[in-house]
This record gives sequence, structure tokens and C-alpha cells, in this order.
Amino acid sequence: MDNEQKTNVSSQSKNTALDLLGTFGRNLGLTLYALFALFPLVWMIICSLKLDSEMYNTVFVFSPTLDNYKAVLLGTDYFKAFFQNLIVAGGAVILTIVAGVPAAYALARYDFKKKEDLAFQILSFKFAPEILVILPIFTIFQRIGLYDTYFGLIWVYQLITMPLVIWVVRGYFEEISVEIEQAAQLDGYRWFDIFFDILVPLIKPGLVASALLAFIFAWNSFTFPLVLSGFKIQTMTITSLRYIASDTVHYGQVAVASLVAVSPEIIACLFIQKHLVRGLSFGAVKG
Amino acid sequence: MAQLKLERVYKRYVNSDKSFFKKAKQNDYAVENLSFTCYDGEFVGILGPSGCGKTTTLRMIAGLEEITGGDIYIGETRINNLLPKDRNIGLAFEDYALYPPLTVYENLAFNMRAKNRSDSEIKRAIDYVAPLLKVEELLRMKPPALSGGQKQRVNIARAIVRRPGLLLLDEPLSHLDGKMRQQLRHEIKRMHHEIKCTTIIVTHDQMEAMSLSDRIVIMKDGNLQQMGEPIEVYDNPANEFVAGFIGEPPMNLLSSVISRADGAFLFTFPESELRVEVPKRYYDALSDGQRVTLGVRPVDVVVAKTPTKGSSVPIAIYENLGDERRVSVRVGDSLLNMTTSEDVWYERGEMVQLEFKAEKTHLFDPETGNRIVSRKEGS
Repeated sequence: MDNEQKTNVSSQSKNTALDLLGTFGRNLGLTLYALFALFPLVWMIICSLKLDSEMYNTVFVFSPTLDNYKAVLLGTDYFKAFFQNLIVAGGAVILTIVAGVPAAYALARYDFKKKEDLAFQILSFKFAPEILVILPIFTIFQRIGLYDTYFGLIWVYQLITMPLVIWVVRGYFEEISVEIEQAAQLDGYRWFDIFFDILVPLIKPGLVASALLAFIFAWNSFTFPLVLSGFKIQTMTITSLRYIASDTVHYGQVAVASLVAVSPEIIACLFIQKHLVRGLSFGAVKG
Repeated sequence: MAQLKLERVYKRYVNSDKSFFKKAKQNDYAVENLSFTCYDGEFVGILGPSGCGKTTTLRMIAGLEEITGGDIYIGETRINNLLPKDRNIGLAFEDYALYPPLTVYENLAFNMRAKNRSDSEIKRAIDYVAPLLKVEELLRMKPPALSGGQKQRVNIARAIVRRPGLLLLDEPLSHLDGKMRQQLRHEIKRMHHEIKCTTIIVTHDQMEAMSLSDRIVIMKDGNLQQMGEPIEVYDNPANEFVAGFIGEPPMNLLSSVISRADGAFLFTFPESELRVEVPKRYYDALSDGQRVTLGVRPVDVVVAKTPTKGSSVPIAIYENLGDERRVSVRVGDSLLNMTTSEDVWYERGEMVQLEFKAEKTHLFDPETGNRIVSRKEGS
């Protein structure tokens, strides 16, 4: 008995020691990885505080300057681009939700001819590289007057945002039992009420996660705004190019522009991080 | 409270994957020429194997499926073209179909909210129904937190809280484990006594149907096989299917040939020495050499005290299950099972004499499966 207890105790202390070591090792590993992953961001922050002349040394000690920030934020119409980008990307996501959620519902619920073909067609919008289709779109946009308009960009962004939202949300709809809708039908509700009161809360995790990802993709889009917008509308991705002059590249200013550009995404991700993982994995596992 | 009447109801599902060029293959009827009536306040069970059209029938009554042909009446009203919500029906779905974002209370209130009932009225209705199904404790919870049995209680409560004229239960116990099933079965029965609402339960479990229903509708392949009180269906099955479907362990169905010897009819069995006397009441319906299917329940075969000619057979399987004993003998290439609660011991290979309880034998036509009725019975 005594013996047994002793061995128990010793094995326990051994276990705790092992546990501690494991926890320590895991955290160490995660810390190293975090440093590795965050380093580019850190490097960009450092760059943004350096003068152009100091750009090519790798010394971490220097006298920081805010000149780059002044030049970018005050000297150019960078904020205008920021808001225009917000309008285009946000508008694209809103349109995607308004049109894509009903589409996802139809693909999940109804049987119609060529349903799977249609669903695949929507997914296939993501297959082709943007650069491949950009010239025909450019020509069409020029002819029908969509070139350099908010509407034109929001429209073409659907190629980026729509497939993602439709496919994620469709999985969510498929998991909701049809009987729930029928029960509500027996209860005397119109489809519209059922949809907003019962179904929307159920698809919310997937909808939020996919909409956020869609927003990020739209926000970062480069090819479409580069070719399809000109003077009236400029997104941030395009504006950042401006600091590459013919004779020199103002890396400090590029760094500032990029930092401002990624800030909304980082903030949004921090806020809905948990939603993001759950929302995207839940539907997929059970599907 | 209402009477439900189905008159020559048909249902055929339309093929959804019709190709543009080929004409769609037409499906068989899922429900064919189905007519029956449930009287006011009655508890009717629709029983049948899976795919027999019982759930389809229920869904047609509820208005969730279109009716291909025929009429359904609730009371005097033909409801074929009424919207589900206007049929005054409560339906408890098989997999609960509760509204996950809402609390149990709101789930129950959902229907009355659609009808713009006042809060106090809703509360009164829920306060009445909740104890009936023992869901008072759950009212504040949300469906994902409930167990299967609790979900089913809420589901049934939601169906009856609106005071329906007709209550439909779609396999309410099929997802529950044995003990919970029994418990909820008693509660459904008690609830029906309390609210006395015309109720239809769809099930593939004969125990459920037998114990709950006033009358049972037995279906197979979309066709009505028999409708009657449980004991009537058990004692006088209309055909071979009903005979084999109702009862546990199932009825023995042996193919047999009638032979005449010394003025008496005997059942003989292919490749078996077994001979059984034909009960006298069948004499006028049978002839020498006729093929019949002999049905006899395991409890209606007994080991005889006095040996009769040709009835001695060796025991093939002997099982002692504690509260009953099962003895099987080989008859041709099939087994004849019998159960007895008497405390007797046998061994495999032992020779026993068999005796069939004459009143409890059933004869069926091997071609049509229909019951062979002796003329005395028929008239």
C-alpha cells in the first residue's frame, strides 16, 4: 500500500515535470513561429520609420522619423483611396450577401435541372487567373460605360467574393433539416419570416466567416482595379504603386501605405478570429 | 377534434432528374387507392415496413405533400387545397425539427405568435401543455442543449399546444433508446386520454402501434393491407403479410399440401414426415392436393401429451431465455418455432409430439397471400 502510494507520488511528480516541459516546449515553439510569422510586419514597421537613405542597412538601431507618414498621409490623397477601397470591397461583399445567400439556399434546397453544373460553374469563377480574363472585361467595360465606376468594380469583384460565400453558406443550409422549415410552415409563417427568424441565425457563423474572407480578398484585389479603374477611383493596392518612381523607390512610403492598407483586415480578424475558425470548419467537417 | 377521412388517395412522386430529351420514367405509386376513416377522438396507428408509404400518407394529411388523386376530409371540409397552416393540424416531426435559435418556451409559442395571440393567452396554453409532457423544467433552455427524449417531448408539446383538431405523430419514438421509448409511449397514451384529440401515429414498430392505437392501419407498398383493432389484426390477419408482420416472434408460415386420408384432411409438408390434422372448420374450403400456407403463432404450437400419428419430430434448436423457452423443429427446409412459458427442459435431438391449437391456425393462399376463409366463417 505504502509502496504503491510512493510510486504513485513519484510518477505523479514525474508527470508534472514532463507536463511542464511539454507546456514550455510548446509555448517556445509557438513563440518562435509567431516571431517568424510576424517578422515581415515588424520589418515593414521598421522600414516605415526609416529614411530612404537608411533603407538598405539591417541595423536595428536608428533614429526613427515620421517623415514617411507625413508624406503619405498628409501629402497625398491616400485617405481618399482608403475610403474608395472600403466602398468597393464593402459594396462587393454586401452585394454578394444579398445575392449569394438566396442562391446558396436555392442550391441547397431545390432540385432543378443542371443544379450541380451551375454550382460548379460558380465555383469555377475562381479557377481562372484574373489576368487571363482581364482584357475582355476591360473592353466590355469600356464599351458599356462601366470603366472607372464603383458599380463596375463591385460587379467584377463578385468573381472573387461570390463563389466563396455561396459554397460555404450552401453547406450550412444543407445541414439545416428541411423539417424545420416545414414545421414553421405548419405554424403559419411565411417563408420570409422563417428565413430571417430561423435560418439566418443558423447560418450566421458560416456567413460571417466567409464574408470576412471575401472582404479580405476583395480588399487586396490588385489586377481588377489596376486595369478597370483609372483616375476617378483608386484603390489602396494601386495607390501604393505610386511610390515607385522612375528613378527611385520610396520604400519607406510604400511601407506606410501597406501598413495602413492591412490595418482594417488585422483589426477585423482579431475581432472575429474565433468565428472564423469555427465558421469555416463546422460546415466542412459534417458535409 | 375532428374526424379524418381519406377517400381513394393516390400519391406518385414526380421524377426530378428528368432529362431534356428522354421522357421521364414514371415512378410507381407511393400510395395507392388508400381509404380509411379515423373517428373523432380516436388513436390510429399507421404501421408498415419502411418505404410502405405511411409517412407519405401522413405528410399528405398535413399538407406537406401534394395529393396526386383522391380526397382527404377533416370533418366535413375537403382539405386537398388548404394550406398546411389552415388545416388545424399539429405535426410532430420524426427528427424533432425544433427551432435551434429559440428557447423551448418560444418554440412552443411560435405557432401562437403567428396567430397574434396575446402573451397571457400563450402563457396559459404553455402552462397547460408543459406539465403534460414534463417539459416545465426545459422552458428556458435552447434545443441544442436537450437530450433526444427531451427534444421529442418538446416536439410533441409544440404540436399539441395549438389545440389541433388532428394530431399527427411521425415515428415519434424511433430515435430513442429502449427505456426512454417505453416511458414516452406511456406518456403519449396518458396525454391522449387527457386531451382526447384525434391522433395518428406513424410507426414501423408494432409494439408501439399495438399498445397505443385504438385501431391499426397496416400498409405495404403503398397499399392498405388491413385496418382494425390491434387484437383483431393479431387474431385475424387478412393476409400473409399482416400475419408475418404482426407479432413477435413472428408467426410461422409454412408451405403445405393438403392430403386426404381416411376421410380426414392432413397438412403435409414437403420433405418432412410431419403430419398435422386440419381443423374441421376448414374442410369445406379445401380439397385434396391443394397448396396452402399454414400460419401458426409460436405460442399456439404446443408439445402434445398424447402422441398422434406422424407428429413426432426431433428438436433442432432449444433456447432457454429465462422467462420463456423457444423450441424449433425443422420442417422441410424451414424452421417451425414455438415458445412456451412452461418450465420444461428439452435437449437438442429429443423427439417431441406437436399439436397445433386448431382455433389459432390461419390458412393463406400461397399465390395471392389472402386468407382462406372457411365457408362457415365467411357467411
